[in-house]
Amino acid sequence: MAAGNVNSFNVSTNHNNIVNIITETDTEEDQILQWLSPLEPQRRHQAVRTGRLDGIGNWVLEANKFKEWSGGKDDSVEPLLFCCGSPGVGKTYLR
Amino acid sequence: MIDRLCDQAGRKDIAVVGLYCDFLSHQEQSTTNVLGAILKQLSRRGEIPKDIREAFQKAREEFGGRGLQLFDQVEIMKKITASLSRVFICIDALDESTPQHRQELLQSLQEIVRGSRNTRIFLTGRPHIEDEIMRRFSKVVRIHLSPTQGDIESYLEMKLSRDTDPYAMDDELRADIMRVIPEKTSKM
Repeated sequence: MAAGNVNSFNVSTNHNNIVNIITETDTEEDQILQWLSPLEPQRRHQAVRTGRLDGIGNWVLEANKFKEWSGGKDDSVEPLLFCCGSPGVGKTYLR
Repeated sequence: MIDRLCDQAGRKDIAVVGLYCDFLSHQEQSTTNVLGAILKQLSRRGEIPKDIREAFQKAREEFGGRGLQLFDQVEIMKKITASLSRVFICIDALDESTPQHRQELLQSLQEIVRGSRNTRIFLTGRPHIEDEIMRRFSKVVRIHLSPTQGDIESYLEMKLSRDTDPYAMDDELRADIMRVIPEKTSKM
């Protein structure tokens, strides 16, 4: 009976240790991510993605300006692309 | 835009990161938060980059976990971008951030681009912020966005097909909507 108690105690200790170890390795990654910034921009990105209508505004992405900017050699292109337009025109929803 | 670049990239050594300024409160959109969010996305691509891990450990030992300063964030960004073949940083609705945050962010982006030419920056916003951008980047590629007739028609068709009250619609009303709205918007 006593041995059984010890055993079960050991088992549960080991179990707890294992759980703790896993949590700790997880949290270092999480801690770093949280430490870097509290923001979670991918959540908003998912919402935008869901609300987007395929095909709209594709002309922008087919434009030579865009193709050169995104695919051109580093020293031959200007690094900054500014897409401007009035509010509600669909800047956020470009695919 | 982020998805398009991701599809196009499809390679391990090309990173696409970005964020939307419009949903952030003024406090949240501090430049260190924004650059931190970009570093966070770069860290989620796989292994956390060595420079970030080291900075974290140093901060934990020395200052009890104090966050990175802007200067350090920029330095780390330069190192990470240099280790990749190309990094796209996309920032949407930059006009929604406060002028002070915008200045700081543009300055930081300028430093990152200077440090590593393989960085590409994509910004969206209303036209009035172009002067501020030009102060930091003497030359920019500009695309002025206004929806085409086809874009507006597709959008209307999508909206009509999702009408929650389809019984109120008839062919005549539908034809009027499809005629009048594109006409009006083309004059905007």
